[in-house]
Amino acid sequence: METKKRIREQTAFLLSKGWVQYLLALLITGVALLLCLSFRTESDYHLFSFILLFVVSFLSTFLGTGPVLLASALSALAWDYFFIPPHNTFKIDRSEDILIFGLFFVIVVVSGVLTTRVRRQELLARERERKTNALFLLTRDLSKASGMDEVIRVATEGITTYFSPESVFILREGDARQGAPVGLARSGQLPESEFQIAQWVFTHSRKAGTFTSQPFDSRYTWYPLTGSRLNPGVVALVREHPFETELNTFWEAFITLASNAIEREFLAESAQMVRFLHESDRLYKTLFNSISHELRIPVATIMGASDTMANTTVPRKMQTALSREIFTASLRLNRLIENLLNMSRIESGHITPRTNWHDINDLINKVAGDLADELKPFSLKVEIVEEMPLVKMDFGLMEQVLYNLVYNATQYAPPASEITIRCHYLHGNLVLEVCDQGPGFPENELRDIFRKFYRGKGSHTGGLGLGLSIVKGFVSAHNGTISAANRPGGGAVFTLIIPSERPDITGWSSPLNTE
Amino acid sequence: MPEKEIILIIDDENQIRRLLDITLTANGYRTLLTTSGKEGLIMAATHHPELVILDLGLPDIDGQELLRKLREWYSRPVLILSVRSSEEEIVRALDNGANDYLTKPFRTGELLARVRAALRTGESKKEEAVILSAEVSIDLANHIVRKKDEIIKLTSTEFSLLALLAQNRGRVLTHQFILRHVWGFGYVEQSQYLRVFIAQLRKKLEDDPSKPAMIVTESGIGYRFK
Repeated sequence: METKKRIREQTAFLLSKGWVQYLLALLITGVALLLCLSFRTESDYHLFSFILLFVVSFLSTFLGTGPVLLASALSALAWDYFFIPPHNTFKIDRSEDILIFGLFFVIVVVSGVLTTRVRRQELLARERERKTNALFLLTRDLSKASGMDEVIRVATEGITTYFSPESVFILREGDARQGAPVGLARSGQLPESEFQIAQWVFTHSRKAGTFTSQPFDSRYTWYPLTGSRLNPGVVALVREHPFETELNTFWEAFITLASNAIEREFLAESAQMVRFLHESDRLYKTLFNSISHELRIPVATIMGASDTMANTTVPRKMQTALSREIFTASLRLNRLIENLLNMSRIESGHITPRTNWHDINDLINKVAGDLADELKPFSLKVEIVEEMPLVKMDFGLMEQVLYNLVYNATQYAPPASEITIRCHYLHGNLVLEVCDQGPGFPENELRDIFRKFYRGKGSHTGGLGLGLSIVKGFVSAHNGTISAANRPGGGAVFTLIIPSERPDITGWSSPLNTE
Repeated sequence: MPEKEIILIIDDENQIRRLLDITLTANGYRTLLTTSGKEGLIMAATHHPELVILDLGLPDIDGQELLRKLREWYSRPVLILSVRSSEEEIVRALDNGANDYLTKPFRTGELLARVRAALRTGESKKEEAVILSAEVSIDLANHIVRKKDEIIKLTSTEFSLLALLAQNRGRVLTHQFILRHVWGFGYVEQSQYLRVFIAQLRKKLEDDPSKPAMIVTESGIGYRFK
């Protein structure tokens, strides 16, 4: 298969050279003549004219007009000279022989015209196929390309391959819908005069520059990129001569494709922007609604309770109860402020954990102490494996993490149930689990619970729905992961994994104590 | 009836100052109040209070600066008030000679406990040969530690660490301070040593090492011997 193909290619290559065609014409005609000469008879010389005519017609199927003319002239003259009696003269007596003699040249003319036409058709077809293929490839590459840079790169490559060694894309900037002025993004390398022309092309949606009706003394030809909903910019080519009709059609198809792809990217970008704005608007509303609610309740409690205590004579027992309400309200406010501050730290993206070696026991004790009141109705079980190494972490951040997880458990689990904190060290990671015997999560909510402002469907407790997203934020800051699941026996379990190498504790004892 | 102990409160926030005033007066202390650091320095010199409660964020003078000036001659306990999550500032204040700290918002019960502990520190003498802590006794001169009359064997580093903590009973000692005094200047960054030794001490001395009652962790700051 391979060799056949190679032979065909080589033949085509050889045939494309003029002198080879002439040589071939001479050779084949010569051989035919010699064969004919060897069978030469007086009587039947017309037979030889047919053979020679056949050879010439055969040659005309694959040789150019010139070589065929050579072959037919040679055949005609040779037939006249060697075969028409009297032999070895150019004399022709009979009129039918003159006709046959002329026929040699008629064939040349007819076949020449025909083959040239066929060949041109074929060439055009091949060229068209090449362009179609190129357009197809470009379509494929453009649709595969994601992101503006990629699209521009693909389009530029296409231009370099088919149209111009040098090209410049200038894209629009600003968005008319958002009130920003629409113009072209300034490009660094382009001279100001060329940029002005680009601007003109962009605003008028007409081509300009070399070989156009608006030459503007530019070294480029500028074309507007026109999309169906917005015009994404302009493109410039460097051409030595204007496009021929065929290439121009190709170019127009190409530029339409490229424009559409670039427009698509623009629309995608702005769609994303709209989504983002929409999302942040939603967050803002949620934040506003829930904060105003969450703030008002404790403030109202403090206001009312303290007012009662100050202005009415209430029995001592009730005074204590009221002050306890005030205290609870203030705790709630404090938690809210803490969570909002933490959230804004996460949102600002500037959390760099200040890690240091810590005893995980200290962390659990601190949180258990802070949540002592909330934990009163529960039994807290702490299970830490023997030989638990020190953990490298930011104590403050991890305290918030564990606080939120345990606090969550106290809010959802039924009183008198067990809350378990389990801790071990596995493959260079701290693994910490907080388990409760509450209702767990509906399976379809498991994915959403770490989202900002997400509140469970059956959530009866107050709060902003920030706790778990803070947990996730702080755990991520430690390059760790957190996941939630339902326990087989009922209840929820949060598992957090934080990478922490083992501490270097070589050089144990103090050099100050050498006794 | 013993004379009331004087507590000087230096804080520029009216509500906090009033709250401290009411709470401390109600619990049998005499209070002196001021909003300015400069005035606070003068009042400390003229009234010799038993305890100073100092807010670090004063408008007229940097709290740390004031603390350093105060410590040039004032040896009684100083309790720092600070906003939450400013551990660095707290550590700096403790290194500048403060005895203890409280972060706002705080519970008044916690405040009173700290005040009592700090005033106790003021009374006790550092040269005490035997320091008692519930069931544990420490004989500093003879390097003997007993728990329920049983001698506990400690390595020399463990003993140095325990002795340092016990001598500064009630006071918060920062990690760096402890590392500097027990291991030396070159080791102030090696906090893992300290954690390991604290864990060992707790294992040997505490009833429940996972819930230490004597050697208490001040998260992110240091340790305190209760």
